[in-house]
Amino acid sequence: MALTLQKGGNLSLSKTDPSLTKILVGLGWDPRVTDGAAFDLDASAFLLNADGKVRGEQDFIFYNQLRSPEGAVEHAGDSRDGLGDGDDEAIKVDLTKVPADVDKIAFVVTIHEAEARRQSFGQVGKAFIRIVNSVSGVEVVRFDLAEDASTETAMIFGELYRHNGEWKFRAVGQGYAGGLKAMCNQFGLNL
Amino acid sequence: MLELIRGQRLPLSSITHSSSVEVAFDIQGSLALDLACFGLDAQGKLSDDRYMVFFNQPESPCQSVRLLTPTTFGLSLAEVPAGIDRLVFTAAIDGQGTLRQLGASRFRIGDVGLPKVACAFAGEIFAEERAVMLVEFYRKDGAWRLNAVLQGFNEGLDALVHHFGGEVAEVPPAPAPAGHVSLEKKVAAAAPQLVSLAKKAQVSLEKARLTGVRARVGLILDGSGSMHNQYKRGRVQEVVNRLLPLAVHFDNDGQLDCWAFGDLPQQLGSITLQNFHDFIDTDHGGWRKWELGSRINTEYRVIEQAIEFYRRGNGATPVYILFVSDGGIYDSRRIVKLISEAATLPIFWQFVGLAGRNYGILEKLDDMNGRAVDNCNFFALDDLHDLSEEILYDRLMEEFPGWLKAARAKGIVA
Repeated sequence: MALTLQKGGNLSLSKTDPSLTKILVGLGWDPRVTDGAAFDLDASAFLLNADGKVRGEQDFIFYNQLRSPEGAVEHAGDSRDGLGDGDDEAIKVDLTKVPADVDKIAFVVTIHEAEARRQSFGQVGKAFIRIVNSVSGVEVVRFDLAEDASTETAMIFGELYRHNGEWKFRAVGQGYAGGLKAMCNQFGLNL
Repeated sequence: MLELIRGQRLPLSSITHSSSVEVAFDIQGSLALDLACFGLDAQGKLSDDRYMVFFNQPESPCQSVRLLTPTTFGLSLAEVPAGIDRLVFTAAIDGQGTLRQLGASRFRIGDVGLPKVACAFAGEIFAEERAVMLVEFYRKDGAWRLNAVLQGFNEGLDALVHHFGGEVAEVPPAPAPAGHVSLEKKVAAAAPQLVSLAKKAQVSLEKARLTGVRARVGLILDGSGSMHNQYKRGRVQEVVNRLLPLAVHFDNDGQLDCWAFGDLPQQLGSITLQNFHDFIDTDHGGWRKWELGSRINTEYRVIEQAIEFYRRGNGATPVYILFVSDGGIYDSRRIVKLISEAATLPIFWQFVGLAGRNYGILEKLDDMNGRAVDNCNFFALDDLHDLSEEILYDRLMEEFPGWLKAARAKGIVA
């Protein structure tokens, strides 16, 4: 039985599942049931240093750059390998390959062209992020984002981070205005 | 005043601490929109029909939701029963058009007579939607919150009702096809004045085990001079009203194909839940202006026209035609020939004699030999009001199921 975190909660992955090295980060939300202009959600990952900034463009993993150079983070996109059942997007992380100067990996979901289409996370239901051990296939921890999103167009679902030599996961659930661009700026990437 | 945008949520307590809340809509543009409030359970379903508040049912039980004016709702949130988790305010287009044509509209929410938040919306945020959820109140952690939803469905009110659990929860006598919305709810949403008829029609359909059947429905009206009084007294319009729930049930488009005839036949417009209520008086200029030639009876021409119509674009979908006449039949031999030959087509003819006599061949068609299947039935009424609506529906559905079965067995009907 996987653990479920509340917003802001964290969990030591190394303690919960000592065998954990390769993980799959599954992100999902309720399929939209209404009609109208297209509604696209994109997942991305940011590899961040101790200051909470990317080291360079290579640390921004998204639909146009699916893999970090050292192979630590890979956007699975639609290529599910059975583990991601129920996930809308999946990102693979190999903890053993994460460069030593990367302290944190943030998992973000943004709404494509949200402002032009006047869309926001208030329209997104039942979002979640979950961490799955991709070797054993077991779900380690899960965070169901409570339904209080509103006008935000970008949302940090959760993050993996180093703490005293171990990897932890934090349930973030923090929304931002300004979409993907604002997220990039926040993480020190000026597109 | 605080302005909301689409998708914005906020706790109601940030607006008011009063339990009495007013929700007012200001709809602009040429679209005719029907507003409603759906009180939904925790699963987002309309489990209690009394919590659909609209012009035909302007109050929920306990009066917790009331339609005060055509565009203003009053809420007594403390009175909303615990089983109701969400109050969703919706707008659906009555008639043609899409929400893209909506003018600069807004809703305002606040204390009675004192709005505290507003939300502007217009056609530019929509595409092909025809029904939309505008704003909802929902319970979270014991408190009410608001969400400016502003999202909807292209398929209009049907899709909205379906979204709120339009499938009836009770066990149906026969399995209904997936996505089937109960007749009553379809009608309740679009033409509430027909709800009681729809209920009665539903009972007859269930008795005749026709609830899962798809069919087109046609109506052929005698427009000859002797029918004048029936038109004038509104009896023909009543025939339309009574037949429409059947058409809505059988036909996914919910429309009734319609012809009138004197010496000449004329195909009229399709009758729908949107236009039925004054159809006889308004379609093609109203019944007095229909171009039927001399106002005498020439049945065979209209029968030919209807056969041709369904032969062209219908495939093997069953067709139920109600043929209303006050008698005085012309050229019986041709009628016999046409109906006999049409027995190989997926068309069932229900002849109804109305307020006349001398039905001649119509009475005998039912018993003709030499047809692939028995494809017609006849009964007569001196006055439409002689039969209760319940019995009328039973009579209308008397031989149709038997024909369907026989026609299916012979491969006439899909």
